[in-house]
Amino acid sequence: MRGAYLSYAAKRFAQAVVVILLAYVFTFVVVSILPGDPITNVLRDPQNGFSEDQIRQIIAAQGLDRPIPVQLWTSLSNFVTGDLGLSMRSSRPVTTLIAEVLPSTLTLASAAFAIALLLALTIGYGTQFLPKRFGQGLLRGFPSLFLSVPNFVIGLALIHIFGFQLGLFRVIAPDSFWATFFAAIALGVPISARITEVLIANLDKESEQEYAAVARSRGLGPARLFARHLLKPSSLPVVTVIALAIGELLGGSLITETVFGRTGIGSLVQRSVSTQDLPVLQAVVSLAAVVFVLVNLIADLVYPLLDPRVKLIGGQGVRPTTADDSATATSAAVTS
Amino acid sequence: MSLASLSSASRDRSIGWLSARRVPPTVALSFMIIALVIAWSLAPGLFTSHSPIVGVPAEKLLSPSAAHWFGTDHLGRDLYARVVYGTASSVASSLIAVVIAAVSGGLIGLLAGFLGGWVDIVLARLVDVLLAIPNFLLAVIVVTAIGFDTTNAAIATGVSAVAVFARVMRSEVIKTRQAVFVEAAFLMGGSRWHILLRHVLPNASRSVLPLAVLQFGLSILVIASLAFLGYGDPPPASDWGLLISIGKDYLKWPWLVYAPAFVTIATVLSVNRISRWLRKTD
Repeated sequence: MRGAYLSYAAKRFAQAVVVILLAYVFTFVVVSILPGDPITNVLRDPQNGFSEDQIRQIIAAQGLDRPIPVQLWTSLSNFVTGDLGLSMRSSRPVTTLIAEVLPSTLTLASAAFAIALLLALTIGYGTQFLPKRFGQGLLRGFPSLFLSVPNFVIGLALIHIFGFQLGLFRVIAPDSFWATFFAAIALGVPISARITEVLIANLDKESEQEYAAVARSRGLGPARLFARHLLKPSSLPVVTVIALAIGELLGGSLITETVFGRTGIGSLVQRSVSTQDLPVLQAVVSLAAVVFVLVNLIADLVYPLLDPRVKLIGGQGVRPTTADDSATATSAAVTS
Repeated sequence: MSLASLSSASRDRSIGWLSARRVPPTVALSFMIIALVIAWSLAPGLFTSHSPIVGVPAEKLLSPSAAHWFGTDHLGRDLYARVVYGTASSVASSLIAVVIAAVSGGLIGLLAGFLGGWVDIVLARLVDVLLAIPNFLLAVIVVTAIGFDTTNAAIATGVSAVAVFARVMRSEVIKTRQAVFVEAAFLMGGSRWHILLRHVLPNASRSVLPLAVLQFGLSILVIASLAFLGYGDPPPASDWGLLISIGKDYLKWPWLVYAPAFVTIATVLSVNRISRWLRKTD
């Protein structure tokens, strides 16, 4: 068993490394098919005042005149050693730029994540213990509703109601507590949709089990039944969905940060898109892939340890309840 | 013998499920909303007499009223007309996105599942890579690479959804390939491509339909988000996301945000409801 787990872990780890490297190559290819020539556009900008000779020298010094495969190889080997290159706009290392804005995004993302979990648990609890005819149906509709509302609309509505009408926070001070809190709600609500969906489905399944009936007949109240018995087995499959949600948090922060005027990874991406700052884009996308792959790797490695029912067949982990990750990722709304 | 009966049984069921199941009222309402949205995009002129581009400056920023259902914007343009005229590009682009995603993702999944072996391994890694990059970020860099307009935003959205279709299609193909009738077709001497096209593809693609419908709703959201960030057609286009983005600068007149947002949410909610119903009846 132990040996099986180790070989499973080694295989998953190798797979993760391959995917990260390929994601880097993929991004590189996408970014280098950009129309026009952003590099010489920047250098030719009259404000910079380079002569044609200087431009040629700079391009040669940066290795930008070499064929694409050679450039890719250099860039990939730099990436592996942790060197993400220089920003084309500010000439500062990309790692510094990212490190500067990372804390703000991390704060936002973890707050949003906490809110998403809290929402999922509250709704999950409600669907089990509210009266059937009153409230339950409504709560069961929530994930689908959350999935249908663009997160910028949630953000704008929160700004309008709490910022504008009630004056709870000011948009010009985006890092204040309330502003962060509401930004986290805007980011967290769509994320909670998928988590809630899977949690409800599993709670439904668990509450029909005999042990739940026994616990109920022994007079256990809803809160204790939920916390002591139903939650733990139901939350295992949620681990997979949570790992997938991390990617969404990163993508969603792009919009939330724009709406709330925060500086962070999202606004860095947006600025780099408008200025065509390729190294920054390349770095952020690759790092996002690294984070996503690592989180999923951890989820996959932890899963067999959490759930002894998981059998490792031929080095492949088989999760009992979520047959296909993709099905939980995108068609969570249709699982019923 | 058994082959014939199997295939006719599956055909009966596929005709049967529309008439056999009663359509729940919420699904009927969803279909009505979608029908209205489609009508808006095909013939916007029938639904409003106002111009979406030329405004009346004297009537700027009016509240919603009988004359202007959604009020007017900062240039005195009727917001309802803007929403109606913006439908075509908002909805058509989502359709483009779904078609791109379903066709290329479906093809990848079909080949990976049917051929297996190294084809499967290579394609599986490609799908892993597409999944590893957060969806929205992927759409953003693709649209950056090919240029900002609504069609490109649709292509980018489609690319970001390829992986999902590939995965679902692959698992369906593998499931179908092990079915008795496929084995029978092999034994009766059917060629690989014949079996692939006549037996595996039609059966495996049935579960892709609800997914495609769901993805249609998600694509509307992603494209609206791209338009919101300004990666779609520039004004005076009136994509729903762009309308909301313009409206956010006029929060004193909140209907500029809420009206197009309401239309977007109602549309996506209806699409999701239909998708869930399709999945249940399947």
